[in-house]
Amino acid sequence: MMKETDIERIVEHLGGRGEDLPETAGDSRSEATRWKELDRIAGMMRDEPVIGTPAGLEELVMARVRAQRTSWWRAVAKVLLQPRTVSFDPLRALRSPISGQECSFYFIMVGVFYAVLSIVLMIGFGELGTTIAAPGWVRWQPQIALITAGCMVAIGLYLLKDGKTALRMARIGALVYLGFAFLNGIIVSLKWDIPVSAYVSLLSAIIGLPTGLFLIRTIQNCGKRYA
Amino acid sequence: MKQIDEGEIIGRVLGGDREAFAALVDAYKGPVFRLAFRMTGSTQDAEDLTQETFIRGFQSLGRFRAGERFFPWLYTISLNVIRNHLRKAKAQAEDSGGKGVLEAADPRSDPTEAAIGREQGRRMQGYLLRLPVPVREAVILRFYEGMSFEDITSVTGDTLSSAKMKVYRGLEKMRTMMEADGFSAPE
Repeated sequence: MMKETDIERIVEHLGGRGEDLPETAGDSRSEATRWKELDRIAGMMRDEPVIGTPAGLEELVMARVRAQRTSWWRAVAKVLLQPRTVSFDPLRALRSPISGQECSFYFIMVGVFYAVLSIVLMIGFGELGTTIAAPGWVRWQPQIALITAGCMVAIGLYLLKDGKTALRMARIGALVYLGFAFLNGIIVSLKWDIPVSAYVSLLSAIIGLPTGLFLIRTIQNCGKRYA
Repeated sequence: MKQIDEGEIIGRVLGGDREAFAALVDAYKGPVFRLAFRMTGSTQDAEDLTQETFIRGFQSLGRFRAGERFFPWLYTISLNVIRNHLRKAKAQAEDSGGKGVLEAADPRSDPTEAAIGREQGRRMQGYLLRLPVPVREAVILRFYEGMSFEDITSVTGDTLSSAKMKVYRGLEKMRTMMEADGFSAPE
Protein backbone atom coordinates (compact mmCIF):
# COMPACT_ATOMS: atom_id res chain seq x y z
CA MET A 1 0.00 0.00 0.00
CA MET A 2 1.46 3.34 -1.04
CA LYS A 3 1.66 6.28 1.28
CA GLU A 4 -0.65 9.22 0.55
CA THR A 5 2.31 11.57 0.23
CA ASP A 6 3.85 9.35 -2.45
CA ILE A 7 0.57 9.23 -4.36
CA GLU A 8 0.32 13.04 -4.21
CA ARG A 9 3.88 13.35 -5.51
CA ILE A 10 3.29 11.01 -8.46
CA VAL A 11 -0.11 12.49 -9.36
CA GLU A 12 1.63 15.78 -10.16
CA HIS A 13 3.49 14.05 -13.00
CA LEU A 14 0.55 12.25 -14.59
CA GLY A 15 -0.39 13.21 -18.12
CA GLY A 16 2.85 15.09 -18.46
CA ARG A 17 3.41 14.34 -22.17
CA GLY A 18 6.08 11.65 -22.06
CA GLU A 19 7.54 12.80 -18.77
CA ASP A 20 8.93 9.87 -16.74
CA LEU A 21 7.06 9.04 -13.57
CA PRO A 22 9.00 9.22 -10.28
CA GLU A 23 10.84 6.11 -9.08
CA THR A 24 8.32 5.45 -6.30
CA ALA A 25 5.75 4.59 -8.93
CA GLY A 26 7.68 1.51 -9.95
CA ASP A 27 8.18 -0.23 -6.60
CA SER A 28 6.59 -3.36 -7.99
CA ARG A 29 5.85 -4.43 -11.56
CA SER A 30 2.07 -4.34 -11.11
CA GLU A 31 2.27 -0.93 -9.43
CA ALA A 32 4.39 0.44 -12.25
CA THR A 33 1.91 -0.87 -14.84
CA ARG A 34 -1.00 0.64 -12.96
CA TRP A 35 0.64 4.05 -12.79
CA LYS A 36 1.54 3.92 -16.47
CA GLU A 37 -2.09 3.14 -17.24
CA LEU A 38 -3.24 6.13 -15.15
CA ASP A 39 -0.66 8.27 -16.96
CA ARG A 40 -2.04 7.18 -20.33
CA ILE A 41 -5.65 7.94 -19.28
CA ALA A 42 -4.55 11.37 -18.10
CA GLY A 43 -2.70 11.86 -21.40
CA MET A 44 -5.82 10.93 -23.39
CA MET A 45 -7.78 13.64 -21.65
CA ARG A 46 -4.98 16.15 -22.03
CA ASP A 47 -4.71 15.40 -25.76
CA GLU A 48 -8.43 15.76 -26.44
CA PRO A 49 -8.96 18.48 -29.05
CA VAL A 50 -10.26 21.78 -27.70
CA ILE A 51 -14.00 22.06 -28.22
CA GLY A 52 -15.19 25.24 -29.88
CA THR A 53 -18.00 27.36 -28.45
CA PRO A 54 -21.35 27.53 -30.25
CA ALA A 55 -21.73 30.43 -32.66
CA GLY A 56 -23.48 33.48 -31.26
CA LEU A 57 -22.85 32.60 -27.61
CA GLU A 58 -21.24 35.97 -26.90
CA GLU A 59 -24.19 37.83 -28.45
CA LEU A 60 -26.65 35.83 -26.34
CA VAL A 61 -24.75 36.67 -23.17
CA MET A 62 -24.48 40.36 -24.06
CA ALA A 63 -28.19 40.56 -24.92
CA ARG A 64 -28.95 39.28 -21.43
CA VAL A 65 -26.41 41.65 -19.88
CA ARG A 66 -28.05 44.61 -21.67
CA ALA A 67 -31.48 43.48 -20.46
CA GLN A 68 -30.32 43.36 -16.83
CA ARG A 69 -32.14 45.94 -14.75
CA THR A 70 -30.60 47.35 -11.63
CA SER A 71 -33.06 47.15 -8.75
CA TRP A 72 -33.34 50.29 -6.58
CA TRP A 73 -31.86 48.56 -3.53
CA ARG A 74 -28.84 47.41 -5.55
CA ALA A 75 -28.36 50.98 -6.84
CA VAL A 76 -28.52 52.38 -3.30
CA ALA A 77 -26.18 49.67 -2.01
CA LYS A 78 -23.76 50.44 -4.82
CA VAL A 79 -23.75 54.17 -4.03
CA LEU A 80 -23.29 53.55 -0.31
CA LEU A 81 -20.86 50.64 -0.43
CA GLN A 82 -18.56 51.53 -3.29
CA PRO A 83 -15.03 52.31 -2.06
CA ARG A 84 -14.20 55.99 -1.91
CA THR A 85 -10.95 57.80 -1.43
CA VAL A 86 -12.37 60.46 0.86
CA SER A 87 -11.13 61.42 4.30
CA PHE A 88 -13.51 62.66 6.95
CA ASP A 89 -12.33 65.35 9.30
CA PRO A 90 -15.14 67.37 10.94
CA LEU A 91 -12.77 70.01 12.33
CA ARG A 92 -11.20 70.61 8.93
CA ALA A 93 -14.69 70.72 7.42
CA LEU A 94 -15.37 73.81 9.56
CA ARG A 95 -12.31 75.62 8.25
CA SER A 96 -11.51 74.68 4.67
CA PRO A 97 -13.29 73.63 1.44
CA ILE A 98 -14.57 70.05 1.39
CA SER A 99 -15.92 67.76 -1.30
CA GLY A 100 -19.59 67.00 -1.92
CA GLN A 101 -18.95 63.41 -0.86
CA GLU A 102 -17.64 64.49 2.53
CA CYS A 103 -20.56 66.86 2.98
CA SER A 104 -22.90 64.02 2.01
CA PHE A 105 -21.31 61.80 4.64
CA TYR A 106 -22.12 64.29 7.43
CA PHE A 107 -25.75 64.54 6.36
CA ILE A 108 -26.10 60.75 6.20
CA MET A 109 -24.51 60.40 9.64
CA VAL A 110 -26.98 62.92 11.10
CA GLY A 111 -29.74 60.91 9.43
CA VAL A 112 -28.47 57.70 11.00
CA PHE A 113 -28.35 59.40 14.39
CA TYR A 114 -32.00 60.56 14.10
CA ALA A 115 -33.08 57.09 12.96
CA VAL A 116 -31.57 55.62 16.12
CA LEU A 117 -33.08 58.43 18.22
CA SER A 118 -36.54 57.75 16.77
CA ILE A 119 -36.30 54.08 17.73
CA VAL A 120 -35.22 55.01 21.27
CA LEU A 121 -38.09 57.52 21.56
CA MET A 122 -40.63 55.03 20.19
CA ILE A 123 -39.63 52.49 22.82
CA GLY A 124 -39.52 55.16 25.54
CA PHE A 125 -42.93 56.64 24.70
CA GLY A 126 -44.38 53.15 24.47
CA GLU A 127 -43.37 52.54 28.07
CA LEU A 128 -44.38 56.05 29.17
CA GLY A 129 -47.82 55.88 27.52
CA THR A 130 -49.19 53.61 30.20
CA THR A 131 -48.28 55.93 33.07
CA ILE A 132 -48.20 59.50 31.71
CA ALA A 133 -50.46 60.87 28.99
CA ALA A 134 -48.17 63.07 26.88
CA PRO A 135 -49.71 65.88 24.81
CA GLY A 136 -50.11 65.47 21.04
CA TRP A 137 -47.00 67.32 19.88
CA VAL A 138 -44.77 65.45 22.29
CA ARG A 139 -46.21 62.09 21.23
CA TRP A 140 -45.21 62.93 17.66
CA GLN A 141 -41.51 63.24 18.57
CA PRO A 142 -40.48 59.72 17.41
CA GLN A 143 -42.15 60.27 14.03
CA ILE A 144 -40.56 63.71 13.75
CA ALA A 145 -37.14 62.17 14.43
CA LEU A 146 -37.82 59.49 11.80
CA ILE A 147 -38.86 62.04 9.15
CA THR A 148 -35.76 64.12 9.99
CA ALA A 149 -33.64 60.98 9.51
CA GLY A 150 -35.23 60.28 6.12
CA CYS A 151 -34.76 63.88 4.94
CA MET A 152 -31.12 63.98 6.05
CA VAL A 153 -30.27 60.70 4.30
CA ALA A 154 -32.09 61.85 1.14
CA ILE A 155 -30.15 65.14 1.12
CA GLY A 156 -26.93 63.19 1.76
CA LEU A 157 -27.55 60.89 -1.19
CA TYR A 158 -28.45 63.85 -3.40
CA LEU A 159 -25.21 65.58 -2.37
CA LEU A 160 -23.27 62.62 -3.79
CA LYS A 161 -24.04 64.13 -7.18
CA ASP A 162 -21.87 67.01 -6.00
CA GLY A 163 -23.65 69.72 -7.98
CA LYS A 164 -24.77 73.27 -7.31
CA THR A 165 -28.46 72.30 -7.21
CA ALA A 166 -27.76 69.59 -4.64
CA LEU A 167 -25.85 72.12 -2.56
CA ARG A 168 -28.73 74.61 -2.73
CA MET A 169 -31.17 71.91 -1.63
CA ALA A 170 -28.87 70.92 1.22
CA ARG A 171 -28.59 74.55 2.37
CA ILE A 172 -32.39 74.90 2.46
CA GLY A 173 -32.67 71.56 4.25
CA ALA A 174 -30.10 72.51 6.87
CA LEU A 175 -31.78 75.89 7.53
CA VAL A 176 -35.22 74.27 7.88
CA TYR A 177 -33.67 71.69 10.20
CA LEU A 178 -32.00 74.34 12.33
CA GLY A 179 -35.17 76.41 12.64
CA PHE A 180 -37.33 73.38 13.31
CA ALA A 181 -34.99 71.97 15.97
CA PHE A 182 -35.10 75.34 17.78
CA LEU A 183 -38.91 75.66 17.58
CA ASN A 184 -39.42 72.04 18.53
CA GLY A 185 -37.45 72.57 21.73
CA ILE A 186 -39.62 75.58 22.66
CA ILE A 187 -42.96 73.93 21.74
CA VAL A 188 -42.21 70.79 23.73
CA SER A 189 -41.40 72.74 26.89
CA LEU A 190 -44.56 74.89 26.47
CA LYS A 191 -46.89 71.98 25.72
CA TRP A 192 -45.75 69.63 28.42
CA ASP A 193 -45.66 71.12 31.83
CA ILE A 194 -43.74 68.47 33.69
CA PRO A 195 -40.04 68.42 34.61
CA VAL A 196 -39.22 65.78 32.00
CA SER A 197 -40.25 68.22 29.24
CA ALA A 198 -37.32 70.42 30.18
CA TYR A 199 -34.98 67.53 29.45
CA VAL A 200 -36.69 66.81 26.12
CA SER A 201 -36.41 70.43 24.98
CA LEU A 202 -32.83 70.66 26.27
CA LEU A 203 -31.94 67.51 24.38
CA SER A 204 -33.55 68.89 21.23
CA ALA A 205 -31.58 72.14 21.52
CA ILE A 206 -28.29 70.43 22.39
CA ILE A 207 -28.54 68.09 19.43
CA GLY A 208 -30.27 70.28 16.92
CA LEU A 209 -28.59 73.68 17.16
CA PRO A 210 -24.90 72.73 16.94
CA THR A 211 -25.66 70.02 14.38
CA GLY A 212 -27.60 72.47 12.23
CA LEU A 213 -24.85 75.09 12.49
CA PHE A 214 -22.20 72.47 11.64
CA LEU A 215 -24.12 71.30 8.56
CA ILE A 216 -24.60 74.89 7.35
CA ARG A 217 -20.89 75.54 7.79
CA THR A 218 -19.90 72.42 5.86
CA ILE A 219 -22.26 73.40 3.03
CA GLN A 220 -20.63 76.83 2.92
CA ASN A 221 -17.19 75.24 2.73
CA CYS A 222 -18.37 72.79 0.13
CA GLY A 223 -19.76 75.70 -1.93
CA LYS A 224 -16.39 77.48 -1.84
CA ARG A 225 -15.16 75.08 -4.49
CA TYR A 226 -17.65 76.56 -6.93
CA ALA A 227 -16.81 80.16 -6.11
CA MET B 1 -6.90 33.38 -24.79
CA LYS B 2 -6.43 37.04 -25.64
CA GLN B 3 -4.40 39.22 -23.33
CA ILE B 4 -6.69 41.86 -21.90
CA ASP B 5 -6.44 44.38 -19.09
CA GLU B 6 -9.07 42.82 -16.85
CA GLY B 7 -8.77 45.46 -14.13
CA GLU B 8 -9.44 48.27 -16.56
CA ILE B 9 -12.39 46.46 -18.18
CA ILE B 10 -13.95 45.65 -14.81
CA GLY B 11 -13.54 49.31 -13.80
CA ARG B 12 -15.36 50.39 -16.96
CA VAL B 13 -18.20 47.90 -16.42
CA LEU B 14 -18.61 49.03 -12.81
CA GLY B 15 -18.62 52.60 -14.05
CA GLY B 16 -21.71 51.83 -16.15
CA ASP B 17 -20.19 50.77 -19.49
CA ARG B 18 -21.98 47.42 -19.93
CA GLU B 19 -20.61 46.92 -23.43
CA ALA B 20 -17.09 46.60 -21.99
CA PHE B 21 -18.20 43.29 -20.46
CA ALA B 22 -18.15 41.80 -23.98
CA ALA B 23 -14.33 41.70 -23.83
CA LEU B 24 -14.47 39.47 -20.73
CA VAL B 25 -17.10 37.23 -22.33
CA ASP B 26 -14.98 36.93 -25.46
CA ALA B 27 -11.86 36.06 -23.48
CA TYR B 28 -13.41 33.47 -21.17
CA LYS B 29 -16.40 31.99 -22.99
CA GLY B 30 -14.27 29.09 -24.27
CA PRO B 31 -12.97 27.77 -20.93
CA VAL B 32 -16.30 28.33 -19.20
CA PHE B 33 -18.22 26.53 -21.96
CA ARG B 34 -15.75 23.64 -22.00
CA LEU B 35 -15.96 23.19 -18.25
CA ALA B 36 -19.77 23.15 -18.37
CA PHE B 37 -19.74 20.78 -21.31
CA ARG B 38 -17.36 18.32 -19.66
CA MET B 39 -19.35 18.45 -16.43
CA THR B 40 -22.76 17.89 -18.03
CA GLY B 41 -21.99 16.13 -21.31
CA SER B 42 -24.56 18.25 -23.12
CA THR B 43 -23.92 21.14 -25.50
CA GLN B 44 -27.32 22.68 -24.81
CA ASP B 45 -26.86 22.57 -21.04
CA ALA B 46 -23.31 23.88 -21.39
CA GLU B 47 -24.53 26.82 -23.46
CA ASP B 48 -27.22 27.69 -20.91
CA LEU B 49 -24.80 27.31 -18.01
CA THR B 50 -22.19 29.47 -19.73
CA GLN B 51 -24.76 32.24 -20.17
CA GLU B 52 -25.83 31.89 -16.54
CA THR B 53 -22.20 32.03 -15.36
CA PHE B 54 -21.56 35.31 -17.15
CA ILE B 55 -24.81 36.84 -15.95
CA ARG B 56 -23.96 35.89 -12.34
CA GLY B 57 -20.46 37.26 -12.89
CA PHE B 58 -21.87 40.53 -14.21
CA GLN B 59 -24.24 40.85 -11.25
CA SER B 60 -21.48 40.07 -8.72
CA LEU B 61 -18.76 42.18 -10.33
CA GLY B 62 -19.13 44.78 -7.57
CA ARG B 63 -17.86 42.18 -5.10
CA PHE B 64 -14.76 41.39 -7.18
CA ARG B 65 -11.73 42.56 -5.22
CA ALA B 66 -9.09 44.60 -7.01
CA GLY B 67 -5.85 42.66 -7.39
CA GLU B 68 -7.65 39.32 -7.40
CA ARG B 69 -7.31 37.14 -10.53
CA PHE B 70 -10.47 37.26 -12.58
CA PHE B 71 -10.26 33.82 -14.16
CA PRO B 72 -10.34 31.68 -10.96
CA TRP B 73 -13.07 33.99 -9.62
CA LEU B 74 -15.20 33.36 -12.71
CA TYR B 75 -14.43 29.63 -12.62
CA THR B 76 -15.68 29.46 -9.03
CA ILE B 77 -18.96 31.08 -10.11
CA SER B 78 -19.14 28.66 -13.01
CA LEU B 79 -18.63 25.64 -10.75
CA ASN B 80 -21.36 26.84 -8.39
CA VAL B 81 -23.77 27.31 -11.30
CA ILE B 82 -22.94 23.84 -12.65
CA ARG B 83 -23.24 22.19 -9.22
CA ASN B 84 -26.68 23.76 -8.72
CA HIS B 85 -27.73 22.59 -12.15
CA LEU B 86 -26.54 19.04 -11.53
CA ARG B 87 -28.19 18.97 -8.13
CA LYS B 88 -31.51 20.19 -9.55
CA ALA B 89 -31.49 17.95 -12.55
CA LYS B 90 -30.25 14.97 -10.54
CA ALA B 91 -28.86 13.85 -13.83
CA GLN B 92 -27.70 10.29 -13.77
CA ALA B 93 -24.36 10.15 -15.54
CA GLU B 94 -25.29 6.87 -17.18
CA ASP B 95 -28.45 8.35 -18.71
CA SER B 96 -26.71 11.20 -20.45
CA GLY B 97 -23.36 9.46 -20.92
CA GLY B 98 -21.46 10.90 -23.83
CA LYS B 99 -24.35 12.37 -25.80
CA GLY B 100 -22.76 15.81 -25.78
CA VAL B 101 -19.56 14.68 -27.41
CA LEU B 102 -21.49 13.69 -30.49
CA GLU B 103 -23.11 17.12 -30.59
CA ALA B 104 -19.87 19.03 -30.25
CA ALA B 105 -17.85 19.94 -33.33
CA ASP B 106 -14.61 17.98 -33.68
CA PRO B 107 -11.80 20.20 -34.90
CA ARG B 108 -9.76 17.37 -36.53
CA SER B 109 -9.64 17.75 -40.32
CA ASP B 110 -9.13 14.06 -41.29
CA PRO B 111 -12.61 12.39 -41.16
CA THR B 112 -11.25 8.95 -40.16
CA GLU B 113 -9.08 10.40 -37.44
CA ALA B 114 -11.98 12.58 -36.31
CA ALA B 115 -14.31 9.55 -36.17
CA ILE B 116 -11.84 7.53 -34.07
CA GLY B 117 -11.18 10.55 -31.91
CA ARG B 118 -14.91 11.14 -31.45
CA GLU B 119 -15.49 7.54 -30.38
CA GLN B 120 -12.62 7.75 -27.90
CA GLY B 121 -13.83 11.13 -26.68
CA ARG B 122 -17.38 9.82 -26.33
CA ARG B 123 -16.20 6.92 -24.20
CA MET B 124 -13.97 9.13 -22.06
CA GLN B 125 -16.84 11.56 -21.54
CA GLY B 126 -19.05 8.65 -20.49
CA TYR B 127 -16.54 7.54 -17.86
CA LEU B 128 -16.10 11.09 -16.71
CA LEU B 129 -19.82 11.54 -16.16
CA ARG B 130 -19.89 8.46 -13.95
CA LEU B 131 -17.45 10.05 -11.51
CA PRO B 132 -18.78 11.85 -8.42
CA VAL B 133 -19.17 15.60 -9.10
CA PRO B 134 -16.28 16.86 -6.89
CA VAL B 135 -13.91 14.26 -8.34
CA ARG B 136 -15.08 15.04 -11.89
CA GLU B 137 -14.39 18.74 -11.32
CA ALA B 138 -10.83 18.07 -10.21
CA VAL B 139 -10.10 15.72 -13.12
CA ILE B 140 -11.51 18.14 -15.72
CA LEU B 141 -9.67 21.15 -14.33
CA ARG B 142 -6.41 19.23 -14.17
CA PHE B 143 -6.38 17.36 -17.50
CA TYR B 144 -8.86 18.99 -19.84
CA GLU B 145 -8.09 22.54 -18.74
CA GLY B 146 -4.45 21.93 -17.84
CA MET B 147 -4.66 23.86 -14.58
CA SER B 148 -2.02 23.63 -11.88
CA PHE B 149 -3.05 22.08 -8.56
CA GLU B 150 -2.61 25.48 -6.90
CA ASP B 151 -5.13 27.02 -9.31
CA ILE B 152 -7.51 24.11 -8.77
CA THR B 153 -7.48 24.71 -5.03
CA SER B 154 -8.27 28.40 -5.51
CA VAL B 155 -11.28 27.49 -7.66
CA THR B 156 -12.70 24.54 -5.72
CA GLY B 157 -11.66 25.59 -2.23
CA ASP B 158 -9.97 22.23 -1.62
CA THR B 159 -6.61 21.81 0.04
CA LEU B 160 -3.67 20.89 -2.19
CA SER B 161 -3.61 17.38 -0.79
CA SER B 162 -7.33 16.90 -1.24
CA ALA B 163 -7.24 18.14 -4.86
CA LYS B 164 -4.45 15.70 -5.70
CA MET B 165 -6.24 12.79 -4.05
CA LYS B 166 -9.45 13.61 -5.93
CA VAL B 167 -7.57 13.54 -9.21
CA TYR B 168 -5.95 10.25 -8.26
CA ARG B 169 -9.26 8.66 -7.24
CA GLY B 170 -10.87 9.91 -10.43
CA LEU B 171 -8.20 8.37 -12.63
CA GLU B 172 -8.28 5.15 -10.68
CA LYS B 173 -12.07 4.89 -11.06
CA MET B 174 -11.81 5.60 -14.76
CA ARG B 175 -9.16 2.92 -15.12
CA THR B 176 -11.39 0.39 -13.35
CA MET B 177 -14.36 1.31 -15.56
CA MET B 178 -12.25 1.07 -18.71
CA GLU B 179 -10.88 -2.28 -17.64
CA ALA B 180 -14.39 -3.60 -17.03
CA ASP B 181 -15.44 -2.40 -20.51
CA GLY B 182 -12.33 -3.84 -22.14
CA PHE B 183 -11.41 -0.40 -23.40
CA SER B 184 -7.69 0.28 -23.10
CA ALA B 185 -5.90 3.55 -23.39
CA PRO B 186 -3.72 3.75 -26.54
CA GLU B 187 0.06 3.43 -26.02
